[in-house]
Amino acid sequence: MAKVAVKATSYCLNHAPEIGLLYGNTPYSERIANPDSEFLTGLAKLAQPYDVACRYAPNRTYVGAMSTAELAVAPKPYMENLAAAPERFGKFGEIMPEDEFIGLLDICDVFDLVWLEKGFAASVKEKLSSHPLMTETQLKRIEEGHEAAAIEAECKEHHALPLYLSGKLVACCRQGHDTDENLSSHVLLENLASKAGATLSLLHLIKNAGLTPADIDFVVDCSEEAVGDINQRGGGNMAKAIAESAGCVNASGFDLRAFCAAPVAAIIASSSMVAAGARKNVAVVSGGSIPKLYMNAREHVKKNVAPMENVMGCFAVLLTESDGQSPEIRLDALGKHTVSAGAAPQAVTSALVFEPLQSAGLKFTDVDKYAPELHDPDVTVPGGAGNVPEANYKMIAALAVMKGQLEKGAIPKFVEERGLPGFAPTQGHIPSGVPFLGHAREAIMAGDMTRAMIIGKGSLFLGRLTNLADGASFMVEKPSQTVAAGSISREDVEDVILEVLGDLAGRLGACSLDSKE
Amino acid sequence: MGKLAGKKLVLLGERDGIPGPAMESVFAACGADIVFSATECFV
Repeated sequence: MAKVAVKATSYCLNHAPEIGLLYGNTPYSERIANPDSEFLTGLAKLAQPYDVACRYAPNRTYVGAMSTAELAVAPKPYMENLAAAPERFGKFGEIMPEDEFIGLLDICDVFDLVWLEKGFAASVKEKLSSHPLMTETQLKRIEEGHEAAAIEAECKEHHALPLYLSGKLVACCRQGHDTDENLSSHVLLENLASKAGATLSLLHLIKNAGLTPADIDFVVDCSEEAVGDINQRGGGNMAKAIAESAGCVNASGFDLRAFCAAPVAAIIASSSMVAAGARKNVAVVSGGSIPKLYMNAREHVKKNVAPMENVMGCFAVLLTESDGQSPEIRLDALGKHTVSAGAAPQAVTSALVFEPLQSAGLKFTDVDKYAPELHDPDVTVPGGAGNVPEANYKMIAALAVMKGQLEKGAIPKFVEERGLPGFAPTQGHIPSGVPFLGHAREAIMAGDMTRAMIIGKGSLFLGRLTNLADGASFMVEKPSQTVAAGSISREDVEDVILEVLGDLAGRLGACSLDSKE
Repeated sequence: MGKLAGKKLVLLGERDGIPGPAMESVFAACGADIVFSATECFV
């Protein structure tokens, strides 16, 4: 079985504060129940502009404009210590502003669901034409636009959802069917937004890997959206739709769903396909989630804290056969949370961390960095959910103590050295370990790290079919065998054979002389 | 049997904290009457 490499990664954020104010689940539900509430008024007042998103340390870390080591020593709270200048692009991807994201929604729309206002269509097309990754084919997909009155009428009379910028109506998302709630404008906006975010990440991934879209063999989507109509709710294959939008003409794909554990599960499944030789390469991709925008904002507004859940997270990871240089995924020691494992934190941590380490003959201290739920604590602490990564690290360290691999007094040092500061947006599946894969790849290739463990957990109970949660984990480490860069020529092979034959002939000659003596 | 024996309990767990089923097994062993248990995810 072939070894599998993490050949490239990409991480992007879609800044979407006005979409969030309207369609993030918390403000959306509040607007239905209590449209004049103090929460909604307060949220609108506290909403942060694009330049703040590009100066906010966790966002900069997510797109690779700063490292996790730099974030670990960055002054807190992050909102009071913004970078001096906004940076849109990092080494992994970008933070896309909301106007361009609405334009991207239109590029990714093949059913005339998105209508742009004429003036906005022209301005956003001009803006996107200077984007380094947008092709002519994609730019041609931006429509000429509709009169504002037509968009207003579509919203009033046909259940389209309005989209605003600075309070001005610039677009709408139409419904896909008159009666099928699976094709309502709300569902379709969520699906299109996820598709658009994933497409952007896939474009960055292809650039980061030094490939062309035609080089991509297979795409696996691991977002949390259900794509389908009344007869097949969640029928799926968002992946192939994303591949089409990104111009990956030789690719097919499928979706993998496992709540927030899906990215880790998708990387394991995709690595297995590459290892088996079934797929030449696989791009694991995901867009973000509109409903989770401003999910914890009720508490943020109460505490007068800047509500930073205004970005949708997305990512892409390219898996190929090992090149001897890129970090490899270990498929022989995977973490699996079984049905019978139990729900106690100790049982979950044992299944996802201790058991794979044990099966690989490794100790807790053989992993340089653990990447569990990497939620930004400046969002979750005021939101009431605590510092999620830190809680996970304490549990891992406590288990190491129970297993006799760590002194109790060494827990704080273990957490500091082998933990990471949270930097991912609270987008469910996005923070589940994978945001560290890009940073881990860089550190392993630079020789600064040997091994990292990526841990994903999913709240299956939210679907009301089981009380169980789920989880999965894998390790990524420096390649087991280093091969010099470049291919080996026929001449190289002939030289080696001649050298060996010469050596052998010399030895035979010596033996012959010895025997004559 | 502890102080919770015979008491009616409503349990609300959190996935990355203590999930509902984990609390159920502990408190049921103490003789408590668990009338409701759920796990939520706040992230």
